[in-house]
Amino acid sequence: MRIAVLLSAGRHAVSGRPAPVPVELQAIRLAHDLGGEVTGLHAGPDAAPLKDTLGHGLPRLVHHRITVADDPLPSLAAALIEGAFDLVLAGRTGQGGEDTGLLPYALARQLSLPLVPDAAALAEGPQSGTLSVEQALPRGARRRLVVHVPALVTVHPAAPAALPFAFAAARRGAVEARPGLVAPRAPTQIEERPYRARPKLIAKAAAGASAAERLKAATEAASGGGRLLVDPLPEEAAREILTHLRDIGVLRSR
Amino acid sequence: MTDAALSLSVVVLALALLAAAMMVRRARLWRIGKPAKVDWMAGLAALPRRYLVDVHHVVGRDPYAARMHALAAGGLLGGSAFAALALIPPLGASRLFWVAITLAFAVALAGGYMVGRRRIPVKPPRLSGGRFQRLPFFLAGYSLGAFLVALDAALGGAIWPLAWLGLWLAAAGGFGLVLQIDRGPMRHAFAGAAHLVAHPRPGRFEGERTTALLPLDLDAPRLGAATPSDFAFNRLIGFDACIQCGRCEVACPAFAAGQPLNPKRLIQDLAASLQPNATNGSYAGSPYPNARPVAGVGGPELPIVGTGAMIHPDTLWSCTTCRACVEECPMMIEHVDAIVELRRFQTLELGALPAKAAPPLMEMRYADEPGGRPLKARTDFAAGLTLPLISAKGGAEVLLWLGEGAYELRYGRTLRALVTLLHRAGVDFAVLGEEERDCGDLARRLGDEATFQRLAAENIATLARYSFKHILTADPHALHALRNEYRAFGGDYEVVHHAALLDELVATGRLPVGALAEVRVTYHDPCYLGRYNGEFDAPRRLLDRLGLERLEMERSGKRSMCCGGGGGAPVSDIEGERRIPDLRMGQAAATGAAIVAVACPQCSAMLEGVTGERPQVADIAELVLMAADAVTTLQPVPAA
Repeated sequence: MRIAVLLSAGRHAVSGRPAPVPVELQAIRLAHDLGGEVTGLHAGPDAAPLKDTLGHGLPRLVHHRITVADDPLPSLAAALIEGAFDLVLAGRTGQGGEDTGLLPYALARQLSLPLVPDAAALAEGPQSGTLSVEQALPRGARRRLVVHVPALVTVHPAAPAALPFAFAAARRGAVEARPGLVAPRAPTQIEERPYRARPKLIAKAAAGASAAERLKAATEAASGGGRLLVDPLPEEAAREILTHLRDIGVLRSR
Repeated sequence: MTDAALSLSVVVLALALLAAAMMVRRARLWRIGKPAKVDWMAGLAALPRRYLVDVHHVVGRDPYAARMHALAAGGLLGGSAFAALALIPPLGASRLFWVAITLAFAVALAGGYMVGRRRIPVKPPRLSGGRFQRLPFFLAGYSLGAFLVALDAALGGAIWPLAWLGLWLAAAGGFGLVLQIDRGPMRHAFAGAAHLVAHPRPGRFEGERTTALLPLDLDAPRLGAATPSDFAFNRLIGFDACIQCGRCEVACPAFAAGQPLNPKRLIQDLAASLQPNATNGSYAGSPYPNARPVAGVGGPELPIVGTGAMIHPDTLWSCTTCRACVEECPMMIEHVDAIVELRRFQTLELGALPAKAAPPLMEMRYADEPGGRPLKARTDFAAGLTLPLISAKGGAEVLLWLGEGAYELRYGRTLRALVTLLHRAGVDFAVLGEEERDCGDLARRLGDEATFQRLAAENIATLARYSFKHILTADPHALHALRNEYRAFGGDYEVVHHAALLDELVATGRLPVGALAEVRVTYHDPCYLGRYNGEFDAPRRLLDRLGLERLEMERSGKRSMCCGGGGGAPVSDIEGERRIPDLRMGQAAATGAAIVAVACPQCSAMLEGVTGERPQVADIAELVLMAADAVTTLQPVPAA
């Protein structure tokens, strides 16, 4: 399987220094574990900060050189068509760059590829030419989908941790530089404002309630409720589950 | 000279030649190692001193072992040398000379008895069995046999039937001993001597504490050690010098906690893999606790670490780099250097770290701080205190290095106490603030030499911009890096630990302290302050000045036990049966002390993590502040 991993010029969330994007490193890990020929793709003015991805298990990195003013989309689309990849992996969003998370969707539309967002695990599908994707859903839920390749899959932070950095591999690895496509970005009408931290919304306890009550209110709002039974009898457990399902409306009470 | 005596001399000579051949055969294996700079002449000249003073100093901690060696080795070597010299006719003809030989072998026999008495009937668990258990019989056979022959010669052939019996006994015993040179216990005699001559840290014999890890050339084709041939040849000699006395395993905190590390077994696995088609089968000492299964095969060009090799990675990552094994080793083996060398290959070449050790290294790479926290937040602990920035002052007498502990709430309290005391004593000090990067200790111990060297270079560049007399730190790990390990990269600083500075301030009266109520306190030596830097006295003196009743733990000073916080062990988190800090806290509680005094953020964090009823943990600075507060409340300072 030929796999492309899209890499963006990220920055460390705290220090602001150029750094690989964690979720893209996780994408490299998924590609590495799936096996096959893995290539990293980057379109941007400078790939030097991305050299470290070669230390996280990426065997090959191709840099399509464009200027800051260019849109990376056409360069990446052209590279993906040329490379005839079976699977394209991208992070869910970048970090420290533009971070919109829209690029994978724009690419999928342009290349007419199916897109599966938020993969936490990948495996060979049941038939050849298919891929089984485990999607990470809110609250720890998972959903397994099977897609026909070629496909574009974005990776969720719930995927397995990135492979640890190996300095020598990064040192030995080379970046193949190729010219990208000149594609000046359309001027946008986006207004930029400094970020304003908003207060976190938590469930309110009655005014003047004690700290313990406020804590209870704040934490209970996040939990699903229910009761904790330790080592119950199977019948009792089944009855309890049914009652709960009826209470929350999953089962109709008869 | 009797015929039996003449035969004995010939047998001794033949055995010596055979022994020499065995030694050459083993020594040829060392040639697979990488070259190293060794001052052979100085080493050879210093050998007697290194053996009789430095080695004896360690061996003598167990007086029985010291006497056993003096008798067995002295008698055996002396008697054998004399017996060979008896081939010179005038000497051989002298009955007095044979009396001397008789006495020498009688001494050797007594030594051989001591060797046997130590192992039989009950072998202490730290000693190895197998070939080692046969050693006393060979020793006894050889010395008893030679004793009988020499006695007969001294008596002029009066007991000649016994002499001929003795000759056979001596030949058999001697042959057994010589065969043990290759792989058995007798190897330590000659490999140990060679190791003392070509020791990789000769400074250890000059009274220095050479404990800094050696820098790694990051442009080398292979980083760290994957196979035995990646070690320098004198390191290989060190592995061969091991006599499996097991003092290291008794001292090792990971071994005590049931983690899969036994320094003795580790060195034996390394020594075994020197030869082609090696297996670990002949090892007969205590195993790695909860050993993870490995194939147990190796060779000069085969990998050492891995499930298909000699040593399981969990073994490698269990080490806290506390150097207790190095301190206890009578053969002066450098276990920690070997472990770090192996870790370097795992980390730098393979990226094969324990899962939880990788994120801190990544944060250090991109944020200069293992927690990925903003460097600016390092001084947050001092909210409400005046904390002068060196960038604002341009220079100060003392530069206070805060270290990683500053981010932590518990250790923040210690640093607040220290800052308060510095103000009270009128010390001219300042901090780097957000210009202080992590010292890189964690990265270096985990084998990430690249990150360490980058952080060292950047910290050195920062420090070069400011003028200060010395660096003060409350973190012994930072102290060790700044004082000893930055020197190789061009940073030469005078670094003071806060216990030493506070001791001086109290002694000179700059910091008046009152006596604390008679509280029983025990001091836990941080490995990186004590064993690594030899500072045992200042913290104890300081505690005594505070009027505390100081109790010593079962293990203290240079033989102190690690808290489990060094060498990246907390982030590697290798599973064991117990926790190291629990063991150490048990030793502290056994003294009956109400307070464990600590002097290191790691120790503080590890010991504070112990649950249940236990002595309180307090940093030395906190205790000094309590005493200083006692003086201000009792005797108000007269208005100026």
